[in-house]
Amino acid sequence: MQYKSQAVAKPYFIGALALFVAQILFGLVMGLQYVVGDFLFPHIPFNVARMVHTNALIVWLLMGFMGAAYYLVPEESETELFSPKLAIALFWIFLVAAGLTVVGYLTVPYATLAKMTGNDLLPTMGREFLEQPLLTKMGIVVVALAFLFNITMTVLKGRKTAINTVLLLGLWGLAVMFLFSFYNPDNVVKDKFYWWWVVHLWVEGVWELILGAILAFVLIKITGVDREVIEKWLYVIITLTLVTGIIGTGHHYYWIGTPEYWQVWGGIFSALEPIPFFALTLFAFNMVNRRRREHPNKAATLWALGTGVMSFLGAGVWGFLHTLAPVNYYTHGTQITAAHGHMAFYGAYVMVVLTIISYAMPLLRGRAANSNKAQVAEMWSFWLMTISITFITLFLTAAGILQVWLQRVSDNPMPFMVAQDQVALFYWMREWTGVVFLVGLVVYLWSFFVKGEEKAA
Amino acid sequence: MSGSFTTTTARNIFYGGTLFFLLVFLALTFQNEQIIPQRDQREMLSNPQIAAGKKLWETNNCVGCHTLLGEGAYFAPELGNVVVRMGSKEAVKAFIQSRPAEGVPGRRSMPQFGFSDQDLDNIAAFLDYVSKINAAKWPPNVQG
Amino acid sequence: MSSNTASIAVQNPAARPGFSLLDRYHPPGDLAIWVFILAELLAFGVFFAVYAVARMKNVELFNAMQPNLDRSAGAINTVLLLAASWCVARAVAAIEHGRRAASARWLVAGIGCGAGFLVVKLFEYAAKFAAGINLATNDFYMFYLSLTFFHFMHVILGLVILVAVWLKTRAGAYSAADHHGMETGAAYWHMVDLVWIVLFPLVYVMR
Repeated sequence: MQYKSQAVAKPYFIGALALFVAQILFGLVMGLQYVVGDFLFPHIPFNVARMVHTNALIVWLLMGFMGAAYYLVPEESETELFSPKLAIALFWIFLVAAGLTVVGYLTVPYATLAKMTGNDLLPTMGREFLEQPLLTKMGIVVVALAFLFNITMTVLKGRKTAINTVLLLGLWGLAVMFLFSFYNPDNVVKDKFYWWWVVHLWVEGVWELILGAILAFVLIKITGVDREVIEKWLYVIITLTLVTGIIGTGHHYYWIGTPEYWQVWGGIFSALEPIPFFALTLFAFNMVNRRRREHPNKAATLWALGTGVMSFLGAGVWGFLHTLAPVNYYTHGTQITAAHGHMAFYGAYVMVVLTIISYAMPLLRGRAANSNKAQVAEMWSFWLMTISITFITLFLTAAGILQVWLQRVSDNPMPFMVAQDQVALFYWMREWTGVVFLVGLVVYLWSFFVKGEEKAA
Repeated sequence: MSGSFTTTTARNIFYGGTLFFLLVFLALTFQNEQIIPQRDQREMLSNPQIAAGKKLWETNNCVGCHTLLGEGAYFAPELGNVVVRMGSKEAVKAFIQSRPAEGVPGRRSMPQFGFSDQDLDNIAAFLDYVSKINAAKWPPNVQG
Repeated sequence: MSSNTASIAVQNPAARPGFSLLDRYHPPGDLAIWVFILAELLAFGVFFAVYAVARMKNVELFNAMQPNLDRSAGAINTVLLLAASWCVARAVAAIEHGRRAASARWLVAGIGCGAGFLVVKLFEYAAKFAAGINLATNDFYMFYLSLTFFHFMHVILGLVILVAVWLKTRAGAYSAADHHGMETGAAYWHMVDLVWIVLFPLVYVMR
């Protein structure tokens, strides 16, 4: 740690990991509800567990991004953070708002929560991933703007590098696209159309800039490869990302009342979306192979390489599998989508946040890297979580293929619930694999407390 | 290779390329807005029941279990065509009304929301409207 | 750079000092533009392939609709783009001999031809829009409009790049020794031309 204001990243990383635990626990609840339908019913119905699962994921990734920004921007800009106090204040506001929102989800019926929080003034709730009450949404905007102000001021007064410029672009894009969550017309087609401007243009657009910047930063640090080389790669990768990803939005516009030309435009450009992810994988391996130093933090290197591979598999390959309109006609809105979503989010965003945490946390705790013992534990958690998410994805894909066959393709299509009973075996396997994932997460958290011989920073 | 591949060019291509593809996307969006009036049944929206039904759909987080035109959660059936599948708005209303408050032992069950008759009419009007949207022949069959 | 490649480079009289063989024989212009060009060609290539598949599934419609396209406008545009590409190639040749003023004039000629393409295309579009044709009319027009519009946008981008190169040429930014930037812009322009040479016969002529 070169600047003392970088220390504000620490609470963000800890907060992110706490929400990660909540996300996984509720994921297990949902997984069980898939096979034991009345589990926790009617106290925590599936939709409530799902809100907690997905919203906790989004918020902890945002927290991770913010922590990453607070850690890397001072170092890139070669100056102290504009206001460390503001950063700490925002952390608590964000955490409390997130906590209250979750408490709201779990303790009051959703309709009551909507009434209590002024949804009648401007109805924005009840749309997938954007379920947050109006107050929370406005809180997110305020926190995001104050955060961006803090980071932007820091960059402006310091050195401008490709990494902090790309990171800023991604973060500003994130905030701007979120504004579409306040647009909710009665016309379902328009509602859905612009809803994707938040969801798709986040995860297949601006978030990838953030991902690229974080990964580039960590790779410079752990490999010692010239900044010049890494920055070129970064620009090439994010160019490919946006060239394919922006019009790639069209792959969500096949069956929601939008015109058929999207099937062609969306299909072509989204079919090319694996290319930037493939470039990312090549990038990570190339840089590590050309390394000019042996960084003592082997675990961070592993996470960085893992991000490349798993994002390519999850977002690239599993996305490609069902992105073409003739295929998507049958797979749209099935477990195939769920399979892709799980591996893509884990491979791209979960892993990149864990990469920066793995690299930065030891430094924030005053050492170059964790002890060998702690790193071994962390690497165990890497493999446990990565292999189990892979199997979760495979089981959901199997469930999805069966579901598509039984419910959509066969001569006598089965009703939804009948088909669900047929694929229950795969749901059980997914649930048990989910338990392994939880074990991996516990090992990961435990690795923070493993003692041993540590090198000073 | 190093001398011929400059960061400046890479950066300029990033900004230029991004702006370019954004403009193409906006042009496609503009065309989209011109065409969808023929497909989205917007004239039905003059019936205030549909907007009220959509709000009920949202404030009860129906999308947390169901899909609507394939988007949402995959825990419960597709509802974009539910009026067609069940045969009538009345059948849909009767189904929602009949859900047991304590659920069904061992099985997935929709919660009992305690909707008023007016609420049920609104929800049914909304689902009926969605079923009439031209969704390019999706879903493949009535099972959704 | 290893000392081995350096010695070969020095032995080669064509090699610029300080550059390895790889540098000498890489394609003209910046490698970054070549990554972008390949990505663009891939997108167009896939688009053409999808067109071919769609046509195969509905040959009657495509054959019935194709005569409605303005082939003479398309032919004029082909000539214009080829001329523009030639002018741009002359501009690069001129700067290689240090003739800056001539190079700038060739660029203006190239930009003029490119602008001519846009004007002809706009007339063509105006006629189609007046007939009430849009992306939802039918599969053939969807592909015709999509492909030509996507290409049209590339012509505009290519022209923006050429104008930037022209301004820099006039400002004296390029010389016989260093015209890396102009080669980069020219490479992109030739890609725009190349795509049209495939697009025109494919959509307007081939049956």
